[in-house]
Amino acid sequence: MNKRILALFLSLIVPPLSHAAEKEWLLEESTLSYHVSHPLHQIDGVSHAARGKGVCDAGQCDFLIAVPVKTFDSGDSNRDLHMLQATRGAQFPLVTVRTKLTETAFASTAIHVDLEIQFAGQTAQYKQVAFQLTGQKDKMRISGIVPATVSDFKIDPPSLLSIAIKNEIPVRVDMTWRPQ
Amino acid sequence: MAKFSPLGFAVDTQSADEESLYPGAVLLAQVQGNPPNATKPPATNPSEPTLGDLGFPTAQTQGSAQDQARLDRRSHMLKIHQRLGLITTIPLAATLITSSLAASRSSTATGRDVHATLGTITAGMYLTTAYYAIFAPKIAGTPTRGPIRLHKALAFIHGPGMILTPILGAMAFDQKNAGEKVHGIASAHGAVAAVTGIAYGLAILSVSVHF
Repeated sequence: MNKRILALFLSLIVPPLSHAAEKEWLLEESTLSYHVSHPLHQIDGVSHAARGKGVCDAGQCDFLIAVPVKTFDSGDSNRDLHMLQATRGAQFPLVTVRTKLTETAFASTAIHVDLEIQFAGQTAQYKQVAFQLTGQKDKMRISGIVPATVSDFKIDPPSLLSIAIKNEIPVRVDMTWRPQ
Repeated sequence: MAKFSPLGFAVDTQSADEESLYPGAVLLAQVQGNPPNATKPPATNPSEPTLGDLGFPTAQTQGSAQDQARLDRRSHMLKIHQRLGLITTIPLAATLITSSLAASRSSTATGRDVHATLGTITAGMYLTTAYYAIFAPKIAGTPTRGPIRLHKALAFIHGPGMILTPILGAMAFDQKNAGEKVHGIASAHGAVAAVTGIAYGLAILSVSVHF
């Protein structure tokens, strides 16, 4: 009888405990901006619409961040629509970023992470991208620049007056995460 | 490795290693319209976040080949609009330069013919240029913002100007060939042409130079 009670007790207690080992992070706010260079223009397209989630288990954290392509605003609706077309944003509406971190990395102020980015129907890997970490009260701020290029995603570089934009389109990332 | 897709574009297939690292990518690929790969192994880390966890509305995650085709057509037409608009500046400039051959005291019938011919070519090219902007597919729910507003506003000046200028020019041409001094509304031909030319030049600058 005592064994049965113990088994029942364990079955009720153990799953919640194992679940408690997982820790989740939610993206609270973000600013993502891409920079485009052209001899006649320097353009920044900004989005605050990213959503993200991180799940930590056994000291290992998996993060997923996604942002709709059409939410990037460069201040010119015509240019934004052209960007949407050039990046095949109607067919592939989201940019997604996946990365893994060890929980010990959160104690650092500078980290290097590998990123897998899906954009425009293509997948690109970026190794050892530098980010700065700022721990705040119950929050974690991450900022850095992803050295993206147009050719990484097989995008035909848009042109103005027959002059194409530069291949480099660095993406500045500024995100605030909070544990759930 | 690029793989042919039935939608007519190349997609990168991921290696099995990458797939095990990023199992959520399978879901994403399916959501975004890539063909699912039946040989892909099942996810190895069930706790890894997926796109579904982020709570995006379905409309924001599902790709549409139809919408993409509409955007492609729009961009294609606007590229032609841009190219023809730039080419049109050549006969437009030539027409303005040859106006002295048609309007000065020493003007000749040949000079007027040259000016009229160039003006006709300019008007024809202008209308063709305008066609590609007017009939480019509109994208619903996209308010016009930025320098394109000035570009569109200037069309309300150079558009009527490009219609009025040849009409007034034809009237002036007839009067001059009849040995008369250009008079009446035809005498506004030069002024209307100048305003039209300036508005046209500003329209080009408004979308090509950062103010």
